[in-house]
Amino acid sequence: MRVAVIGAGVIGLSTAQSIYDQYHSIVSPLTIEVYADCFTPLTTSDGAAGFWQPYLYDEGKIQETKWNKETFDYLLSCLSSPDSVKMGVFLQSGYNLFSEPTPDPSFKDIVLGFRHLTKKELQIFPGYSYGWFNTALMLEGKSYLPWLMDWLQKRGVKFYQRKIESFKELAETGADVIINCTGMRSGELQPDPELKPGRGQIVKVDAPWLKHWILTHDLTKGVYNSPYIIPGSRLVTVGGVFQLGNWSTQNNSTDHKNIWDSACELEPSLKHARIVDDWTGLRPVRSKVRLERETIPAGATTIEVIHNYGHGGFGLTIHRGCAQEAARLFGQIVKQKGRGPRARL
Amino acid sequence: MKSVKVVVVGAGVVGFSTAVCVAETLPSCSVTLLADKFTPDTTSDGAAGIVFTAKFPDIPLEQQRRWFKESFEHFLAIAQSQHSSEAGVLMSSGWQVFKEVPADTKPFWSDVVLGFRPMTARELKRFPDHKFGQAFTTVKCECSSYLPWLEKRFRKAGGQVERRKVNNLQELSQSYDIIVNCSGLGSKTLAGDTQVYPVRGQVLKVQAPWLHHFIRDGDGKTYIYPGIHSVTIGGTRQEGDWRLEVDEGDTRSIVDRCSRLEPSLSKATLLGEWVGLRPSKKNPRVQRELVLLQGRRVPVVHNYGHGAWGVSLSWGTALDALGLVRQCVDEMTPRARL
Repeated sequence: MRVAVIGAGVIGLSTAQSIYDQYHSIVSPLTIEVYADCFTPLTTSDGAAGFWQPYLYDEGKIQETKWNKETFDYLLSCLSSPDSVKMGVFLQSGYNLFSEPTPDPSFKDIVLGFRHLTKKELQIFPGYSYGWFNTALMLEGKSYLPWLMDWLQKRGVKFYQRKIESFKELAETGADVIINCTGMRSGELQPDPELKPGRGQIVKVDAPWLKHWILTHDLTKGVYNSPYIIPGSRLVTVGGVFQLGNWSTQNNSTDHKNIWDSACELEPSLKHARIVDDWTGLRPVRSKVRLERETIPAGATTIEVIHNYGHGGFGLTIHRGCAQEAARLFGQIVKQKGRGPRARL
Repeated sequence: MKSVKVVVVGAGVVGFSTAVCVAETLPSCSVTLLADKFTPDTTSDGAAGIVFTAKFPDIPLEQQRRWFKESFEHFLAIAQSQHSSEAGVLMSSGWQVFKEVPADTKPFWSDVVLGFRPMTARELKRFPDHKFGQAFTTVKCECSSYLPWLEKRFRKAGGQVERRKVNNLQELSQSYDIIVNCSGLGSKTLAGDTQVYPVRGQVLKVQAPWLHHFIRDGDGKTYIYPGIHSVTIGGTRQEGDWRLEVDEGDTRSIVDRCSRLEPSLSKATLLGEWVGLRPSKKNPRVQRELVLLQGRRVPVVHNYGHGAWGVSLSWGTALDALGLVRQCVDEMTPRARL
């Protein structure tokens, strides 16, 4: 079978990995190809801070919470592997801050050591009167994506730098299944009014004395529209903005100033940090993740597509759960097409 | 009018902390700090500087708590300020793990540090050799930055600094009214204290920027302390051992033990090794006495013997020493104070 994955961000690469992992010994031959117009370090996944944390509440989307948990547990198990440093995965603790009491989040039992902040801790953050502390994971795209590509390349997965204009284009070259991991630009392959950009801008600084992430929340402004400071393995990511509907990928100086001023208020020592870079990315926002099969008619035949896009600001956070689910959907197609083990008898 | 001449001997974290406290608080004192070794060559410089403490057998618990609390809050305020990076003081969270459940699961300093709690079962899973653990947030003070920062403060308050080896207190008795002894292990000769002894510690400094938590074995011998530019891993506790040279066997043992706690250390690059002698005593000596020196009875305030807890208790013991200096000043005849 020939599988064509479109998109080489964390979603595309991890889905290719899960499909290979689960089916390379079941489907023979299994050819997996990844098509994308941009690769690491230029994808949305590369620019993200790489911090594992879902949105505070899943609003009934329990499937997403399940995928988030699966991803966390998977990454936690990777910590003890000799590949952990290459993968860019490590633990980091920190603070979620609020200006009023807030119900516990959907991820409280997923992360490690979740607890409420003590009075003494809150004194450290003037202006905030409530909050949480927990240990979470970091997964840096700039390490993880190359590690995934290397993992895939070693197993014979081929990469093609090319912008795919339609599913039909790939079907015509002989792909049996297309995995659509095109994130923000999925709308170009198939219009989706639910998919919108959640523009984010960050400042990357050198401040190695910071060892905790700090996320503030203004529940009136919505997620990621409040300052956050997320130390990485080399640089610290400072944000945040979340501008729904803004397609601009240019760094904006007003956004920079707002982000910087409010972050310095939160963490005074930042005034002595060296600013290294600014970056803008578009979170592929959707009311819920689109992870489903679609059989698209194409003349006399049909095209099997598995959609896996719309992960908003939690792509790294949810990637593994979604990749495994996409592989499961792939398994359904394999069964239907009679390409499974039974077919080889 | 600065009429009382105070000399502080020792330029480690205890010496400079004490000197700053006196210079900033007592307007009648002119303070000179003397030492033969300055940063980066003091014992304090190699210490990782993670702040928490042990219990001493003979000091009233209330006083030990005060020493620790005052030091901790002093460092916390710096860590939260814009001076954090210049002073080398940062917040650090992590875990202390025990192979066997300790007798005292809630040490006396547990309510001074932040968020102290027992580790959850899931958290302990990462440490298969250990049955119990504590999670908390404390501060780390890197003396290679903190000592220069203290010196700046000291000079701003009018303090004078002189590089000089002090061989005995007699040398100082003619030029100074009050002697403050913060000479650490040097007190063996300077104060004739036979109860002071070294506890040798060797550490490695490695590059492992993905490590953001401290991990310490409750036995105090194995620890991983991520700092601003490197991670300090260690260690050893060799009582009565005066060797300052790096020991290869210790290096291997440290790498071995620390890698068991944190497997990713196998990917860390070695930056350097260091040996320090913890200036140990059964109990730290923060005490004043009158010493007959060259016919004069000179008040001497001692502040030494902090062992492994120099950084952790530096500010609190400095404040106590300040109180003792103040008593000495008050007791001096009015004529001397003019």
